[in-house]
Amino acid sequence: MELLDAHLIPAVDGVAFGLLLFVVAAGLSLAFGTAGVLNLSHGTLYAIGAYTGAELSDGTWGGLALGLAAGTAAACVAGAGLSAATAPLARRGHLAQALLTFGLALIGGDLLIQFFGADELPVRVPEALDSSVTLLGHRYPAYRLCFIVMAVLLAAFGTWVLTRTRMGAAVRAAADDPQMLAATGHSPRAVHTGVLAAAGALAGAAGVLGAPIIGPGPGTSENVLMLSLVVVVLGGLRSLWATFFAAVAVGEVQTLGVSVAPELAPYLLFAAMAAVLVLRSRFAEPAGAGHGSEAPGPDPVARLRGLLAGRPAGRAAEGPLSGRKRSPVWPARLPGRAAWWQAAPLLVLLVVLIALPALLDAYSISLAGSALALGLLAVSVTILTGYAGLPTLGQTAPFAVGAYATANLADAGWTVGPVQLVLSALAAAVFAAVVGPAVIRARGTTVLMITLAIGELTGAVVNQLKSVTGGADGLVGFPATRALWGGEGMLEESELYNYALVVAVVSVALTLLVLRSPAGKLLTGTRGAEARMRASGHPVGRYLLVAHICAGALAGVGGSLMVTVQQYLSPADVGFEIAAFALLAVVIGGTTSVIGALLGAGLIVATRDWVAGSWPGHGPLLLGVLFVATVYVLPRGLAGLRGGSGGGPSSDAPRPPDQPPPAPTPSPAGKVSP
Amino acid sequence: MLELTGLTAGYHGGTVLHGLDLSVPAGTVHAVVGHNGAGKTTLVHTVAGLMRPSAGTVRLDGRDVTGQPAHRIARAGIGLVPQGRRVFAGLTVDEHLRLSHRPPRRGDTTRPSVWTPARVLELLPRLGERRGNRGTDLSGGEQQMLALARALLGSPRVLLLDEPTEGLAPVLVRQIDALVTTLAAEGIAVLLVSPSPARAVACARTLTVLTSGRMTLRLSGEDARADATALHAALELTATGA
Repeated sequence: MELLDAHLIPAVDGVAFGLLLFVVAAGLSLAFGTAGVLNLSHGTLYAIGAYTGAELSDGTWGGLALGLAAGTAAACVAGAGLSAATAPLARRGHLAQALLTFGLALIGGDLLIQFFGADELPVRVPEALDSSVTLLGHRYPAYRLCFIVMAVLLAAFGTWVLTRTRMGAAVRAAADDPQMLAATGHSPRAVHTGVLAAAGALAGAAGVLGAPIIGPGPGTSENVLMLSLVVVVLGGLRSLWATFFAAVAVGEVQTLGVSVAPELAPYLLFAAMAAVLVLRSRFAEPAGAGHGSEAPGPDPVARLRGLLAGRPAGRAAEGPLSGRKRSPVWPARLPGRAAWWQAAPLLVLLVVLIALPALLDAYSISLAGSALALGLLAVSVTILTGYAGLPTLGQTAPFAVGAYATANLADAGWTVGPVQLVLSALAAAVFAAVVGPAVIRARGTTVLMITLAIGELTGAVVNQLKSVTGGADGLVGFPATRALWGGEGMLEESELYNYALVVAVVSVALTLLVLRSPAGKLLTGTRGAEARMRASGHPVGRYLLVAHICAGALAGVGGSLMVTVQQYLSPADVGFEIAAFALLAVVIGGTTSVIGALLGAGLIVATRDWVAGSWPGHGPLLLGVLFVATVYVLPRGLAGLRGGSGGGPSSDAPRPPDQPPPAPTPSPAGKVSP
Repeated sequence: MLELTGLTAGYHGGTVLHGLDLSVPAGTVHAVVGHNGAGKTTLVHTVAGLMRPSAGTVRLDGRDVTGQPAHRIARAGIGLVPQGRRVFAGLTVDEHLRLSHRPPRRGDTTRPSVWTPARVLELLPRLGERRGNRGTDLSGGEQQMLALARALLGSPRVLLLDEPTEGLAPVLVRQIDALVTTLAAEGIAVLLVSPSPARAVACARTLTVLTSGRMTLRLSGEDARADATALHAALELTATGA
């Protein structure tokens, strides 16, 4: 009883918080599940509502009603606008749409700060509700109780529309088969617009009503987006009830969890998500156990493949890394003219990079070093997005692990560069191995969602875990890295740059080697035709996990490099914006081009720091504009400009059905000619 | 009355349907027969507006509907029963019926017959027993009935049936054949696409053989029923020619 007594208020707060999240997450889930748009600007729609509500709130019922009407309408219009903006990209798949909304979120966030200022706006609830009521002997704000009632009504209304009305049936039908919906005389485009407008209205209404709970401020969009993503990931897209329970659970973790176990609270959300994802992958994919555990020896398919490849059976079903070791077994293609043409940009780039210290001033050189670190992060994103088909927004997590590992190693006196790099890569790889199962169970845009949640949660942990990360202040003053054993600590910018260049060149060369080897082909095959890969006996899940671990290690190297080059580390260096940078770099470069990713990273760092001088404080806005422009203008990135001669597989565009997938092994179609 | 003139359509990779002329008067069945890859489904999709033709016209009772979006074509009175049924997985039978029910505009008396859920259930009583079941819980035959019901509830002038008997038991196949004849008798123009000449011969007034996207034979149903050798020859030729 005492326990109940002490935690009643946080528990009720958790319900209010959870219901708020439910209304927001329901919109997100609706837009993704039925219109196919992973709306990364959903938090911005909430913020629009919250700012409007706060601006119009004056302590009267009229103010609240006006705010509710205006905030809902504004977010609704923004949602409809989003539908118009994403519709031309519909053929290019979900990733392009998600990227566009990401850019719009950056732009929207900047504009909101422009209009409403960078401070949190105060919200005045109607006076009648600005009191407290007695709840089992405790005082509790009346507004929150009222909010609980309103949110329940809103949720019930939304659920009723979706499940009981003809409109709701049309929405569900559109999610299932838009063509057939059109064949029954309903315009799928209208449904698309309606869904996004309704999702916007939900977010806007939640923003107005929830402003006293999650108030409007610069971090609101991101916070709300992260929490609602976690809710959607936990609840899945299948049922509103699951979303509801997930939302309340997250709400309770955020309130009751903090009150019961304050020191554990930051990790609770992470732990809950990991647990649910792992459990669900156990139960939802019973077939998964089958493809993961194939015996290498007696499997007839493996034997056949072994015979066809001219080597003994039993070694066929090993992981991609073993493919790298034995790559000479596959006759290496001789570098022809085309290969030189492909390698030319690489060589030019290398020459330019080597010459840079002679051309630039010290400040620019240190920027170039950071760009290399960011470039490695971008390359790791390319591996996952372009090759493994796992578009990721969460590579800042292993990046952060590597970065903090290096900073702490240096602090403890381990200043030898290679040691730092290897240990950081190892730490990041372990991290990637731990979260990997949660990532690789999903495909396509869902991965974007899960990885974003992982990245954001890692960021939250970084802010909390002050003993290791220094919290929001970051780490500074650790000894400089020594390039080799017995050397001096590197302090000169050009020294650091050369170190970074060597590390980057070695890492990129290794990556290219692996990606062009059969191991890379296995990944490409998995991305192109996963079912066929499974059917020909490949443990697809294992390949993806290995790819995820390798990409994590690479990101860890990038993180380590960044710390070495800039010699301080703050949470912003591994935050949301960096995740956006990395993905943008990949998009600019073309999702399957390693060199494109490096160039993209360079371009972004240059743009960011040039413009930072002339137009301070508008980094996100420019980044957003760059994002939007890239998505519309360069559908295949810089690599697309070269007429499709990029080093990797074609593009992220959906493959036409008649074109055979790039199967790396003889396909079972061999039965045609016995 | 459905009229196609010079209809040409294809995918990204190339043209599939080459200048097809075809007409289906109200109240008759026109069967299009051809092997896999002959362009039958492309034809149906182009007429239904799921694909945009690169040349040619589609006219519905004299009105040009070429290149209009699918939902407009559906509203103009073309009902589609697609290959593979494609019922909505998440919707119950009842929701299918409610969603598809689109009465003709008031004053529009040109529809051959007006359908309501009640009337559809009268024709397809099996669906009435499964009103609460989701689309994917139904058997293949029931799904086919549901797909047909979905098309009928728009009170169509033209019905496009893409391999409606695919994968069904013989008793259901006969039932579908009987339904097709009944619907044509209501005054609906039926375009039936089938890989099997037997089905086409059984109920069509006119047959068209499609080979690699071109018409290679057209004959009347009576002639085909009297002597199927020409039809078989056309299809055999296709087999050896390919």
